[in-house]
Amino acid sequence: MRFIFNLTRREIRSSWRRLLFFFLCIALGVGSVVALRSLIQNLTRAVGTDARALMTADIELSSTADFSPSEISKIEQVLNQTGIVEARNEATTTSSMASPVDAANPNTRLVELKGVEPPFPLVGEFVMDDGTPFDFALLENNGAVVAKILLEDLNVKVGDRIKIGEAEFQIRGVFDEEPGGSSGFRIGARVFVAKTAFDTAGISRNASRVRRRILYRTSDNPTELVRQLREALKGTTVGVQSYRETQENIGAQFTRTENYLSLTGLLILVLGGVGVWNVARAFVEQKRKSVAVLKCLGASGTRIISVYLLQILTLGFVGSVFGVVLAQAGLWIVRLQFLDALPEKMTYSVNLWTAAQGILLGVAISILFSALPLLQVRNIKPKLLLRDENNASLRKLDLTKWLFGALSLAGLLGLAVWQAGSVLVGVFFLAGLAATAGVLYLAALILTVLLRRLRVFGTFSLRQAVNSLYRPGNQTRIILLAVGLGAFVVLAVQSLQTNLVREFDFTRNQRLPSLFFIDVQKSQIDELARNIEERIGEKPETTPTVRARISHVNSQAFDFQRPEMRQQQGQIGREFAVTYRPNLDTNEKIIDGEWWTAGGEAPVPQVSVEEEMAVRLKVGVGDSITFDISGRKITAQVASVRKIDLRNTRTVFIFVFRPGVLDAAPQSFAATVLTRVAPTERQRLQRDMILKFPNIQIFDVADIVATVQKLVANFVLAISFVGSFVILSGVLILIGSIALTKSQRIYENAILKTLGAKRLTLGSILLFEYGLLGLLAGIIGSVFAVGLSWAVSRFILDIAWEFDPWLGLMGIVATTVIVVVVGCIASFDVLFRKPLGTLRSQ
Amino acid sequence: MILLQNLTKTVRSGTEDLTILDDVTIEIPDGQFVALTGASGSGKSTLLGLIAGLDSPSSGTIIVDGDEVTSMNEDALAELRSQKIGFVFQSFHLIPSLTAFENILIPMEIRGVRDARERAELLLADVDLVNRGHHYPTELSGGEQQRVAIARAFANQPSILLADEPTGNLDSRNGAHIFELMTGLHSARKITLVLVTHDGQLANQAERQIVLKDGRVISDQMNREDWPASAS
Repeated sequence: MRFIFNLTRREIRSSWRRLLFFFLCIALGVGSVVALRSLIQNLTRAVGTDARALMTADIELSSTADFSPSEISKIEQVLNQTGIVEARNEATTTSSMASPVDAANPNTRLVELKGVEPPFPLVGEFVMDDGTPFDFALLENNGAVVAKILLEDLNVKVGDRIKIGEAEFQIRGVFDEEPGGSSGFRIGARVFVAKTAFDTAGISRNASRVRRRILYRTSDNPTELVRQLREALKGTTVGVQSYRETQENIGAQFTRTENYLSLTGLLILVLGGVGVWNVARAFVEQKRKSVAVLKCLGASGTRIISVYLLQILTLGFVGSVFGVVLAQAGLWIVRLQFLDALPEKMTYSVNLWTAAQGILLGVAISILFSALPLLQVRNIKPKLLLRDENNASLRKLDLTKWLFGALSLAGLLGLAVWQAGSVLVGVFFLAGLAATAGVLYLAALILTVLLRRLRVFGTFSLRQAVNSLYRPGNQTRIILLAVGLGAFVVLAVQSLQTNLVREFDFTRNQRLPSLFFIDVQKSQIDELARNIEERIGEKPETTPTVRARISHVNSQAFDFQRPEMRQQQGQIGREFAVTYRPNLDTNEKIIDGEWWTAGGEAPVPQVSVEEEMAVRLKVGVGDSITFDISGRKITAQVASVRKIDLRNTRTVFIFVFRPGVLDAAPQSFAATVLTRVAPTERQRLQRDMILKFPNIQIFDVADIVATVQKLVANFVLAISFVGSFVILSGVLILIGSIALTKSQRIYENAILKTLGAKRLTLGSILLFEYGLLGLLAGIIGSVFAVGLSWAVSRFILDIAWEFDPWLGLMGIVATTVIVVVVGCIASFDVLFRKPLGTLRSQ
Repeated sequence: MILLQNLTKTVRSGTEDLTILDDVTIEIPDGQFVALTGASGSGKSTLLGLIAGLDSPSSGTIIVDGDEVTSMNEDALAELRSQKIGFVFQSFHLIPSLTAFENILIPMEIRGVRDARERAELLLADVDLVNRGHHYPTELSGGEQQRVAIARAFANQPSILLADEPTGNLDSRNGAHIFELMTGLHSARKITLVLVTHDGQLANQAERQIVLKDGRVISDQMNREDWPASAS
């Protein structure tokens, strides 16, 4: 053992420069994994984990209609049997338009209004922006507490009065964060008012999308109570939720995100592993003679492998620790760059357990990727000291190498499964990676074969550069694979961004309305339409809408006791806006069944279902869906399934009824206009319409698009951030590969110098060599990026895709420049070596 | 004692088999100084490598101190070299990442010798390199490197020293110094010394001279009767 430790120490002392890339590859990979995982963990802690505070209660009963007497009695019956309810309150939420009472202020905004009653909140804390706790007295006598952003949006201050619906409220307080922290994407700013004021202001009278909640605080675990309430309320449209389930859902969502991000980190680490593999190969090649000498002096192959393995372990460990330091630095950079976009309570330190995991991962990757190259030590024969033979036998695959190869692969799979938190995802990750690498490698192979044909053309330098790409032990295809992969990820993200941003560009979707008016009453719709037409010269398109919830599918009520059903509750248990019309819209296509013919009458109500919802509900033509419309049950037969082209749409209705059955149902109208109106005129129009029709809601699509574009931009920035790590890994592999062939390059240069080649010639050979490498890697990256961006746009995002030749060209140029700069810097010293020393040492 | 019986070594050269050693039988008693000479390509170095177990013969047997080398696996051969055989190469083959002192230390560390450092100091003194111990091989002259290699070869006090043209890469002055060093240590420690050399003068100073040609022994004669026939 002493021999192993001593030699390891001496080897590290003398070889650390050569193994620096090994160290960096591991550090970068571990840094990525630890930084990404810590980021999402800290984010989870900052925003979403406190579901109890978010719900402001332990149990929530919610409905889009008033709770019926029978529902109330069922609830009370269950509650009477349990003694764990400590406190109760009610809340009502909806969206509504808010505008300053001051006539000189033309602003108007959609807000998310919440009517609450004391005690509020039942659990958690609600703190105003001046640090004082929320006091319900602030809401008494038509007081309002508003999110800080609304002050800017409406250009008002505390003490000013705003009009919401038909009532006026005085702003009495401002908050930064709601109880439980931020709750994600929201179109309007949150405004708290007293529930009594909400009810008396007539806001809920005509508004759709009103959600009523009864909240309870319990003294004990509410799970059993929730189960009993769910059982009692089965078949009604009342939703029952406990904070524990919400907590689980949020937790599961964050865990999934964390695991996916970790896989991205693992991808970078695997690329780092490829670098490790290269460095280990180069290392063993360089150590052939030393190994032979050690064997000659009596050291067994196993002991020598132990020395190098210990060296790898040490470097892997130290590299991983450095990776953790890098991760911490990365988190600080994130704080500098994204402070505004991230929650205030967010922390930016690396989690200790995550760091330990990262170090374990780094050491494991070091061993997995260096095992095969190290095994070559076994095949080094001491006789090479007498007669240096070629080392073809080193690369020969024998049974042990196959075995270790399989073990390394299994180990890698284990790491992927561990990081993904799922066997299936882990297997897919590795298979996807292998397939991508295989395809990129194949492309590299084809390109290099084609390039070989160019050897006869061009100047001496160019011919020599092409030759260099085929020198024995060349790393051309590995470099093309690694750098091409980096370019591929970054360019694919950029291309997707271009297409996504274009998708949200007003000027391209001529049917995307500029303004939506909803909750317009039948008595108001004609006047509203006339008013709008007078103002902007366009007659709005009006559509009747009816609010409906699904109560049964094929006579079966949804069983939300089942977790898999509960996961879909948001999509299928919600309230839908449905409509009825005789004709199919221009952006719709029937994919199953038939559209009804105008004028005819059906024996039973009929409905057409959007394609994805049909899949979700597992319904097809002929099945029945029972809707709850204002307490009345209507069972309709599915007559057709429709596909909606979202790129060319004015309104989207998941369910469309055949005219007849809904004509007399309580309904409101939606109106849309396409004309692009200047911002000031748009504000003024909204303001005037709200004054005239206080119950209606107006969606300014420009605001929504701006919000979505901001989200897209953040998403793209985040992905590009990760993509740049991938590029960096590619560059490290490039440097490692250069190191691998460096001794050969030095020898070739010495011979060329002896034969009369000048530094300029040798320099231009270098330039051409890396220029060609970069060009090929850029071509591979660009071509595959275009392919991926097309596939993702077409099949996943379902958005229009356009080819952007500039992006591809820029990608190729940038990749070429990076490879030339890195390659030339890493090989520059070769030009200045004296040839005699080199030739003598051979 | 080293016993080589009907030793043949054939290698593949392109599509043909090339015989490097052809039915060689030699017996070297303990403590003898043998010079192996012959033209380039006659099989001298191959023979030396086979004795050390650095390569295996195509047929025939090699017995070193009663152990049959030809039937040993790689690890057993390594063990044998560690205990009984010292090797000196024409091109030194020092480990470039280790200092001169550490290069001498290595065989003892492999064998697990307790007082390795003290012995390495003594060996450095034996080859007159006390002040050069902390230098790396690239910082030493050819003669100095070979002296380190000799010290390394003697580190585990082997009973056999195999030297493959140890003076071949050195000028005449350094060559003479190295030769004296080896023969001096040979006499002092009573070890078997097998020296491969082109140099007739050096070969003449050996106790016994074996001449190889095209892989066969064409001459095997004693030079000087006053050399001890064995160490006993």
